[in-house]
Amino acid sequence: MTLFGLEITLDLILYTGAFGLIVIGAAGIVLAHHLFRVILALAIAEAGANLLLVLSGYRWDAIAPILSGSESAAPMVDPVPQAMVLTAIVIGVGVQALAVGLAMQVKKTYGTLDMSAIRQRLEADIAGTAGIATTGSQDAPLGERPLPPADAVPVTPGSSAR
Amino acid sequence: MRNLASLLFAGGLGFLLMVFGLQFDFGNAPMLVGQAIQSAAPEQVGAANIVTAVVLGYRGIDTLGELAILFAASTAVGLILGHRHTSTKPDPDSGLILRAGGELLMPLLLVVGLYIILHGHLTPGGGFQGGVILAAAFFIPVLARPSTPLKHTGMMLIEGFSGAAFILIGLAALYSGGEFLQPLLDKGTLGNLVSAGTLPLLYLAVGLKVGAELAGLLAHLAAAEVSES
Amino acid sequence: MNQIVLIVVLPLLAAFLVPIVARMSASLGAALGPLVMGVCLWITGTVAIESAGNAFAINIGGFMPPLGITFFVDRLALLFAFLTALLVLVLWPFQGEHRPREHALTLILAAASGGLALSGDLFNIYVFYELVSVASVGLVATGRRSSAPAIRYLILSGFGSVLALVGIALVYTQTGTLNLAHLSQLAPTHLINPIGLAAFALILLGVGVKAELFPVNTWVPEVYATAPNRVSALLAGLVSKLAALVILRLLVLVFAQEQALLVMLLLGLLGVITGELAAWRAQDMNRMLAYSSIGQLGMVFVAFSIPGETGVFAGLAIALHHLVVKPALFLLAARWGGALSGLAGAAGGNLPAALLFTLFALSLVGVPPLPGFWAKLLLVMGLAEQVGPLYHFALAGILIATVVEANYLFRIVSTLFHRDSPA
Repeated sequence: MTLFGLEITLDLILYTGAFGLIVIGAAGIVLAHHLFRVILALAIAEAGANLLLVLSGYRWDAIAPILSGSESAAPMVDPVPQAMVLTAIVIGVGVQALAVGLAMQVKKTYGTLDMSAIRQRLEADIAGTAGIATTGSQDAPLGERPLPPADAVPVTPGSSAR
Repeated sequence: MRNLASLLFAGGLGFLLMVFGLQFDFGNAPMLVGQAIQSAAPEQVGAANIVTAVVLGYRGIDTLGELAILFAASTAVGLILGHRHTSTKPDPDSGLILRAGGELLMPLLLVVGLYIILHGHLTPGGGFQGGVILAAAFFIPVLARPSTPLKHTGMMLIEGFSGAAFILIGLAALYSGGEFLQPLLDKGTLGNLVSAGTLPLLYLAVGLKVGAELAGLLAHLAAAEVSES
Repeated sequence: MNQIVLIVVLPLLAAFLVPIVARMSASLGAALGPLVMGVCLWITGTVAIESAGNAFAINIGGFMPPLGITFFVDRLALLFAFLTALLVLVLWPFQGEHRPREHALTLILAAASGGLALSGDLFNIYVFYELVSVASVGLVATGRRSSAPAIRYLILSGFGSVLALVGIALVYTQTGTLNLAHLSQLAPTHLINPIGLAAFALILLGVGVKAELFPVNTWVPEVYATAPNRVSALLAGLVSKLAALVILRLLVLVFAQEQALLVMLLLGLLGVITGELAAWRAQDMNRMLAYSSIGQLGMVFVAFSIPGETGVFAGLAIALHHLVVKPALFLLAARWGGALSGLAGAAGGNLPAALLFTLFALSLVGVPPLPGFWAKLLLVMGLAEQVGPLYHFALAGILIATVVEANYLFRIVSTLFHRDSPA
């Protein structure tokens, strides 16, 4: 069946799924504001990569690589990518567990899980321990409250400064 | 602006990857190593599940590295989160349904987990999958009764000794004249529970280690609760 | 001679047992780690003498390649295995409170680094690389206030490993094997195509996170500024070189294409320029050393992108020189950690340390007759021999970078020996 002039085959769907998951994960890591969502995006990207790896061992009309008693000569799918994905999934679990533990420690230290706030405080931290002056930013020159504009708002006649 | 740039980058990356993906010959894997392993596995390793033969036999040291990664993650979480805060008040016990259900489920999960671990060389499954079920079995009582925490010492002992057992089995092969992690013991008949030499023992070590490790990790994360500010 | 596999296995065994042993007897637990590293050092030495310079292969599990995994032990692998054990032993956490978990993580780092040096299988390299990643993040997070840099490092490293896994999947769909020797045989027919180049780019970005490659090196300044100096020394000295070694092996064996060399040249040159300029602007010691590390590793990649043997030798010379000098600089900087402006006259307090610092800084810049000079000379001569505008541009970039390096390093040295007290 064709859609927009592109033939919809099985491999198109599968590869779209795998690469789509990776790209969604990548976008999530870059765009998310909350640290936990970044960790979730990383998990999604890892799932996409594992799916891609398993797809690389598929053969048409092949059975699972398990030898049953009957010596059927049916071809089997490639067992090596499946073993690789087993290892990769466990590695991903280890990385995610460590990331969650670190996120808890970040929350304890900085009190927030917002990425931009963490970045600012991290910069201030490093500068503080190194003993150099923090470079203020345009939006928050003294760190927290933005200063009022230099030119005072003219008092309109009729409004009194009570 | 940053969002737009990131979305463009992600879209471009996705398009590029799809162009490559459609050039793959899906469904016709080259099967260079896979074919050789399929023909050699029954005699060399003796496991009916060829994926287990690859995981524990042909790529045994990958599995050792994987175990070490889980151990490193669990150790690092223990190092980072420090000691349990005994000052924080533990959550109250759950209601009757959860407690009774937990007590009923735990032996069932233990049995299912051990079954999957011990049959790893015959059917899909194995040490890691069964180990996760064991971890759930160890952890459900902690969820149901937070006031009785997990016995960390016991978990640590199981974790350390089963990891050491995996390596010692491999070293035994090295010192009996072969290479590290060479299959020892008799291969037996294909398809029996007692077959494939040391593979069931290796998977048992893996399963116990993973179960104890994940249960300890979850207990650490649960105990180091941070109050919402 | 197949006991070389023990340099990977024994530290793992010790790491699994250290928490248990430490619970029974604290002193035994503390002594177990250095003891095992000493044994690894001895094993590497005996295997080096036994093999007498000939390369040999070990089949793990006794399975013939390409079915099983092989460890390929040549002189370079043995050298890096020896340096791994040596550096981990020298940088062992001897002082401070005895924490068995920290010892376990250091042992795991040592085992995984040894595995990276020896392994001859693509997916095995990936597993050991992930092991190095998790262990080093755990060690980085032991510093005070280093949890945020650690998690940014972990996320970046995790995404890099996703890219590397996609690259490995691409290679596997084309060739069907994972053994490096087998891949090098199949590469001319199966991997000289856009898919092969894409696989190389993905694996380069993935492994390049540890090798401080541009653009995936944003983690470097924060991590080196907040992690304990010992850990920064291990990361900058040992781990980054092993990652560069892995990339070199893949480049030479599997992806020997011209476009791959150009990609590495471009990224390496960008790393040199951005690293040295950022180091010039840095205001505290740790981050200056971090950016300088980025610059030096960029030079290593520029060297590897020179085709032929001269490129490999130049790159390895710079890498080995950096492996010795950078940890020393980090350890010396530990006593002076902090703002560069506060270092005025610090030489008065500790003259030998200041002199050593000066010596290493001179070697880093490349002043003859120090070893750094010969390494850079090899690189510059190799670049000059090439045809192609990009190589000449790289030559100009490296020379300018050296001038910038000299500027900021001499600035620090003169601050150290400053006589006048600040007004």
